[in-house]
Amino acid sequence: MAEEAKFCCLRCGAEFLLPYTPGVTEERTCPNCGSNSVRRKKDK
Amino acid sequence: MADVGRHPRIELLAYSEVDNVTGYVGNFTVTVRKKARYVDVAECTACGDCEDVCPVTAPDEFEIGLATRKAIYQPFPQAVPSAYVLNIDECLGNNPIACGKCLEACDKDCIDYDDEDELVDIEVGTILVCVGMDVYDPTTLDEFGYTRYENVITSLEFERLINSGGPTRGHLIRMTDREQPRTVAFIQCVGSRDASRGNPYCSNFCCMNTVKDCLLIKDHYPDVDIKVFYMDIRAFGKGFEDLFQRSKEAGTVYIRGIPGEIEEDPETKSLRLYVETTTEGGVNCHEVDMAVLSVGAVPKRDSDMIQRLLTLQRSQDGFFLEAHPKLKPVDAATQGIFFAGCAESPKDIKDSVTQASAAVGRANRLMMQGEVKVEAITSTVIPDLCKSCGICVKVCPYNAISCDTKAKTPAVVVEAACAGCGACSAECPFGAITMKHFTDSQIDAQIDAMLSDNPQDKVLAFACNWCSYSGADLAGTNRFQYPANVRLIRTMCSGRVDKRFVLRAFAMGAPIVLVSGCHFADCHYINAVHWTQRRVEKLWDELEKKGIRPERLQLEWISAAEGQKFATVMRAVEELRQKVTRDEIEHTRKVLADVLEPTGVVA
Repeated sequence: MAEEAKFCCLRCGAEFLLPYTPGVTEERTCPNCGSNSVRRKKDK
Repeated sequence: MADVGRHPRIELLAYSEVDNVTGYVGNFTVTVRKKARYVDVAECTACGDCEDVCPVTAPDEFEIGLATRKAIYQPFPQAVPSAYVLNIDECLGNNPIACGKCLEACDKDCIDYDDEDELVDIEVGTILVCVGMDVYDPTTLDEFGYTRYENVITSLEFERLINSGGPTRGHLIRMTDREQPRTVAFIQCVGSRDASRGNPYCSNFCCMNTVKDCLLIKDHYPDVDIKVFYMDIRAFGKGFEDLFQRSKEAGTVYIRGIPGEIEEDPETKSLRLYVETTTEGGVNCHEVDMAVLSVGAVPKRDSDMIQRLLTLQRSQDGFFLEAHPKLKPVDAATQGIFFAGCAESPKDIKDSVTQASAAVGRANRLMMQGEVKVEAITSTVIPDLCKSCGICVKVCPYNAISCDTKAKTPAVVVEAACAGCGACSAECPFGAITMKHFTDSQIDAQIDAMLSDNPQDKVLAFACNWCSYSGADLAGTNRFQYPANVRLIRTMCSGRVDKRFVLRAFAMGAPIVLVSGCHFADCHYINAVHWTQRRVEKLWDELEKKGIRPERLQLEWISAAEGQKFATVMRAVEELRQKVTRDEIEHTRKVLADVLEPTGVVA
């Protein structure tokens, strides 16, 4: 089971959890607006 | 098989594995590991004397564990070459207390315990991938009780059971009492058409396989009652509907509904199937002697290895992806490689033979020509700039670039293997690779021209040739309205969009830059689109560090069929553009001013 990470949409600003495996590139879509400009929020 | 084995121009390498593949169309070198058989194939007459004396028994893989074989065995009766093979892991011959009975029994001295694997290199022009498929393992579907109840078997096990060459010589028996069952149930779509607990796709052949099995049972055992539990019967091939109707006329009962639970009677070992029948409503209980799970197809276990060796693409279902579903249905994206059979998708025998014939025809055509047309758009290394870092080798989806990083010799591009995605050019940190017809200076010139006046009013979009640009075309031909201030720059692949192009556009005053390409499963260049995403993700971080809002760089995957999405995305990015202030643009110009300074490199 892949772990989840927090992502944010660079179009609508929505924040959500998506499956995330380090080093694996996946096509991601914002569940709110459907944009693919989805960026992983890194822990600071 | 026997014809293939005898053919003077076919070299059959049975009991072998592909270790490595190098080269390109017309010039592949395939390294094959010929596994040690411990039996001399040329001398073995398959008399079976060795098998008779072998004391070791093991589950027979060909009979799916329904029968046993010896440690020295013939894989299956029609195996070509007709010779035995010794499983050295099971054999007692090399143990401290040596067995050696087969060695004594063999008159021809065929057995050699010291045999070793052999690696052979074969030069070939084209490669056909016909690796077949595996079947879904229904153990995880607990409600069917597979492996918990002996009388629940899979369709593949049933196939061996009723085969005249199978473990029961074709007699239909149930596992617990070896008696002929009076009632048999078939459960369809086990592991198919269920995204949550199996695979979302239809496995294509299971319905007709069940129809065929029902007719066989009715032909040999007319008194056996058969019930088929199904979602839909997909009898779409030539003559299939007729076969389906015949099985109904023969007495097979088709019940629409998949059992939610199977229970076993502890005494009689009969099975109770609880089914919600969707045509009549309500949950019914059906008692049967034996249940057959019609399991679906799954990609071959070692598909990952084959994909890596041959630089192939796979679709979301895990099967190998053809270059084009309509125009190149048997070609791989890598030139000179073709598919046949279930390697590409689940299919029945007729479709497999049709596809195999087509693949052979395609391969033959290529071989007969003696030469291939290569892409005009390929990458070229500028040797003086190349630092032999090897990044391009890692990036190339086609293994078209070689570079000796230790000797520090410049990278070399094999043009016949290069498909022209441009990912290498975009990833090269030294600007040492350029693309013919899509050079850095040509793309820079387009950026400069598009943003030469009133850049603050424009949206600059990079679109890949095969999907996003075609999506834009579709939006146009369908008259989908989208803002007129969008300026498109076409690249063959979004993987060609160098981070420098994006920064240059911002330095020229672009408020918003959009990078768009194919969906991951549609990428025309195997996995070049993955590099696009990685690059954009890095760029978001870099922009943020420079005090530029990452939202100004948008990323979208738009297919050629998504004209509507293209228009929607363009309207969305225009809304984002309107939120970008002039101060922001000016700040960006100042921060990125050095990007516009000439580097002295003309690529």
